[in-house]
Amino acid sequence: MDKLLRNKKAIIIFMAPAFLLFTFVLFIPICQSVYYSFCEYKGITAPVFIGLDNYKAMLKDKPLGFALKNSLFFLIFSCVTQLLMGLLLAGLLTNIDKGRNTFKNIIYLPCVLSSAALGLLWMFIFSPKLGINQLLQQFGLEGPLWLMDTSGYIILPMWVIAFVALWQYVGQSMMLYMAQISGISKALYEASYIDGCNKSQSFRYITIPLIRPMVATAMSLNAIGSLKFFDLIFNMTEGGPNHRTEVLATHLYQQGFKYFKYGYASAIGVILLVMCLVVTAFINKVVKTENYEM
Amino acid sequence: MKRKILAAILSVAMTASLLSGCGSSSASSGADSAGSQAAGADTSAGSTASGEGVEEIQWMFWDDLEATEDLISKGYKDVIDRFNKDYEGKYHVTPITTNLEEYYAKLNALVAAGNTPDVFIVSPGPNLTDYVEPGVAAPLDDYLAADGWKDTFTSDAVFSQMTYDGKIYAVPLNTAAACCFYNTEMFAAAGVEVPKTWDEMLSACAKLKEAGYTPISISAGTAWCLSMVAGYLCEAEGVDLAAIADGSDSWTNGKLEKAAEKIVELSQYFQPTAAGDTNDVATANFYNGEAAMLIQGSWAIAQINGSNPDFESKCGVFQFPGVDRIIAKSDSLAMSSTTKHPEACAALMKYFTDDTAQKYTAEVGGKIPVTKVEYDADKAPAQLAYVMDVFKNAKGTFGFYNESMPSTEAGSHFDDTLVSVFLGDMTPADAAQDMEDFYASNCR
Repeated sequence: MDKLLRNKKAIIIFMAPAFLLFTFVLFIPICQSVYYSFCEYKGITAPVFIGLDNYKAMLKDKPLGFALKNSLFFLIFSCVTQLLMGLLLAGLLTNIDKGRNTFKNIIYLPCVLSSAALGLLWMFIFSPKLGINQLLQQFGLEGPLWLMDTSGYIILPMWVIAFVALWQYVGQSMMLYMAQISGISKALYEASYIDGCNKSQSFRYITIPLIRPMVATAMSLNAIGSLKFFDLIFNMTEGGPNHRTEVLATHLYQQGFKYFKYGYASAIGVILLVMCLVVTAFINKVVKTENYEM
Repeated sequence: MKRKILAAILSVAMTASLLSGCGSSSASSGADSAGSQAAGADTSAGSTASGEGVEEIQWMFWDDLEATEDLISKGYKDVIDRFNKDYEGKYHVTPITTNLEEYYAKLNALVAAGNTPDVFIVSPGPNLTDYVEPGVAAPLDDYLAADGWKDTFTSDAVFSQMTYDGKIYAVPLNTAAACCFYNTEMFAAAGVEVPKTWDEMLSACAKLKEAGYTPISISAGTAWCLSMVAGYLCEAEGVDLAAIADGSDSWTNGKLEKAAEKIVELSQYFQPTAAGDTNDVATANFYNGEAAMLIQGSWAIAQINGSNPDFESKCGVFQFPGVDRIIAKSDSLAMSSTTKHPEACAALMKYFTDDTAQKYTAEVGGKIPVTKVEYDADKAPAQLAYVMDVFKNAKGTFGFYNESMPSTEAGSHFDDTLVSVFLGDMTPADAAQDMEDFYASNCR
């Protein structure tokens, strides 16, 4: 095998499929998008170079302001809650003896379901004529307009959608943390118990430091996932009412596919790409990882 | 370190996949959806295998022909079946269907990918302009002139919204008018007369409310439903859209503000779930007897009678009070300028406007035919006769507000702004200022 891998031809053959796929499906389209972001491009006629006009137009774009605010809210909310809930669930599940797999499957289940379908499901649950509000009515309570209320800095629908997203994706964070936790040697825990640690102390002083590398990975995945968040919002509110629940990806979709403004949509895409890169770099910088012997 | 590199590569790949899904790769995604759509549509059309020499065309439409309850959509399905049967061995059409909300997004994706459907349905106004200006839609004058096709239409005026530089780019199929539908039983029980003025409308609503009915069912969840009412109120205030578009008048002249104030005033009579209800839910509220009035286009007749046939006898129609003109709109068909089978396309379009189809439009669908066809008024839904009366008494027609603005985006902005006013998120004065700002930076 080693000999085979030293053969340059073999290397090229092994690399080619992935390289070609990456180049043609990802890299070239990204470069094109960056170019289109400097163009007036309606999709039907040829792009016309207009310099930075698309980026200047962003400054006046009110819905983009909402979208940025909401995307950042999602980013922070999901990073924090996924970390806490994911860790909590992973910690609990690794410490119970019975039903671990059952709970693991139940919590992970929403992750494998289509988020478009889940979006519709939750839309029904929160719609005023069905679901929660009808249930509340049985108790004589009047529920709020879950998906239409517009008061407050972060409006209610955003909290609702963020909650649904947490429900859907917490299983993924939990699985990542569980995988890392189960890789920690039992001997470390036994040693800590001999030294007089209780369970929560061993979690604090052994588990947490040892899963830090996974925290960085899981957080980056969360951060990128929440920045490019689209399907739940699109299916639950379509960015409405009046763009108040727009995020960058839905705004991009609207500008590109509803109004034919591909150039402007590409510019939003570029901003999104830059944000994703910056956030990933930031997380990797902040969550410093050291490799311990496990 | 290895893990870090892996994480970094993963993250880059994920961000990249996001971007590639958007702007530039529209070609591939469009082609994909076209493929899956066509595959899906094939089965619905009964998948007649296209043999040698059969000219295969596609027709794109905004409702599911199999699942629909809408009588007009069912009529379109009949047209398609009839066409495929009559032209067997020569032409064959495959419908591509989506739901209304996603229609233009999908159509645009197909257009951008160079897979424009041969014939597609489109609303006149900026939507049609989107396809005429870049040359996606083909002029139809030659086909209309042949065989006296054009003479079958009621008048040349039916083409006025589809004419650009003297050329006709779309063929209307039927006309609908935005009217007030009302439940005659509820009106009688509450002792309410059909209102003629705005004040009468408000007092009628108040009386209905007192009698324990929900006066109006409306959807703010589907923004254009609310903005249709706003369109009438703006008309009553004398808003001049053309003057505002060219900058000689402004949204902040107080007229939109007044219209928006009236929306707020009227909103106390909406059903409590109006903010979240979609168009379909709001219409269902009405034909299920949960509200006394529905302000909607007359296409709702097909939906109402299709879903609850018993309702026809107690459904009355009146003109929106306080205005002389009515909002009217035609579904129309455009032809792709790149189609390889223009003759087949023209033949299909003719099937939509032939006597059989137009008779069905009036007698079953309850929409106003666009040709001189003679239909049996007794067979037609009762509501159609009322709508025809409204039409006769009106001093003219005007387009839907959101379809009479310089761009589709401006139209959507108008819809959204009015929804914000209704939700209390914006004051009427702010709404006017917001529209003015939008026009200043996007439309003039």
